[in-house]
Amino acid sequence: MRVIKTLIYIKKNHSMIVILITKIERNKNMKKTLIKTVAITALLSSSAYAHFQMLYTPNTALAKGKTIEFKHVFTHPFADEHTMDMAGVEEFFVINKEKKTDLKKTLKTITFKGNHNSAKAYESKYKARKMGDHLFVMTPTPYFEKNEDAYIQQITKTIVNVAGAPTDWDAELGLKAEIVPLTKPYAIWEGGSFTGIVKSKGKVVPYAEIEVEYLNRDVDIKNNKMGKSRVDAPQDSFITMTIKANKDGEFTFALPKAGFWGFCALGVGSDKEYKGKELSQDAVIWVEAKEMK
Amino acid sequence: MKKIILILALLTGSLFAHSAIMSCFDNGDGTITCEGGFSDGSSASGVKFRVQQNGKAIFEAKMSEDSEVTFKKPSGSYTAVFDAGEGHQVLVKGSDITE
Repeated sequence: MRVIKTLIYIKKNHSMIVILITKIERNKNMKKTLIKTVAITALLSSSAYAHFQMLYTPNTALAKGKTIEFKHVFTHPFADEHTMDMAGVEEFFVINKEKKTDLKKTLKTITFKGNHNSAKAYESKYKARKMGDHLFVMTPTPYFEKNEDAYIQQITKTIVNVAGAPTDWDAELGLKAEIVPLTKPYAIWEGGSFTGIVKSKGKVVPYAEIEVEYLNRDVDIKNNKMGKSRVDAPQDSFITMTIKANKDGEFTFALPKAGFWGFCALGVGSDKEYKGKELSQDAVIWVEAKEMK
Repeated sequence: MKKIILILALLTGSLFAHSAIMSCFDNGDGTITCEGGFSDGSSASGVKFRVQQNGKAIFEAKMSEDSEVTFKKPSGSYTAVFDAGEGHQVLVKGSDITE
């Protein structure tokens, strides 16, 4: 994805040049070119928003044990301008008190309706009865991104806690791409911060590029539908915020608003190719900030 | 000597900076399971547990290696008590324990 961005930059710069030329040569009836250029730029910019694999459940800090529902949707959580068809799920499991349970069989195919289109997604139910942390990990089948002629696979973590006893939230699983939290992802006040370490098979990834997006809408669990935008971004760099880890693969990000925040470390995974094409194997973690009221 | 006692007192105090936690669920087979723990993640293995009814203990046990206790669901109202010492008791009402 990094490569594509550079490409977008180049194109953007190129189109800027074109616009410049247009301005100079306006007398020569270049109006048409100008419109075309603007249209291309707009299209390219929209594809620059980050893809995020969601492993969504409405509350990650449960007062007591209960059956919870998940929605597994591949989307752009801030802008919701396009929902992608999930290609499948390779692995889905949970860890509670160091015990791993396979959950792949609990997945059901659904059609999820974003604000602009509908796409293939999954849902699942889980009995989060045991006290402590329930650390969920899902590895989707790589998704072919036509615009980039490459595959994307986001190994995604969501951590749900029951009754406040910490057990597994900080476990390092040695995944191909992984964000290991240093802050409990379910126990953050609005305005608090989240710290994590980017790793690949247990090794830190220095200066990893991390995309951050706010889930800018309510998720209608019953009707498998996304709600309207909560906030507007003043400019594109606020939609997908890109930060970088330090030399030890660590990063910290303050969460200015209650709700869910997704962190995606780009292309840090050990697998670099899928079906003969480039693969961006990313590490995603979802973090929830709670309102202070 | 006074100093040592003071330090000891402080140390003891810091041991209890965490809070006790208990969560119970109905197994649906006439039994209830309660799990105990502490906010710092430490185990509740060996911690005292009892079930009270009308102010009387009708069941007493210690939390297992997995910090759990399973007991027969009493008829009528009852309270499950996780007793980790003074100021560290957690009470869960039977009516709040669901499947």
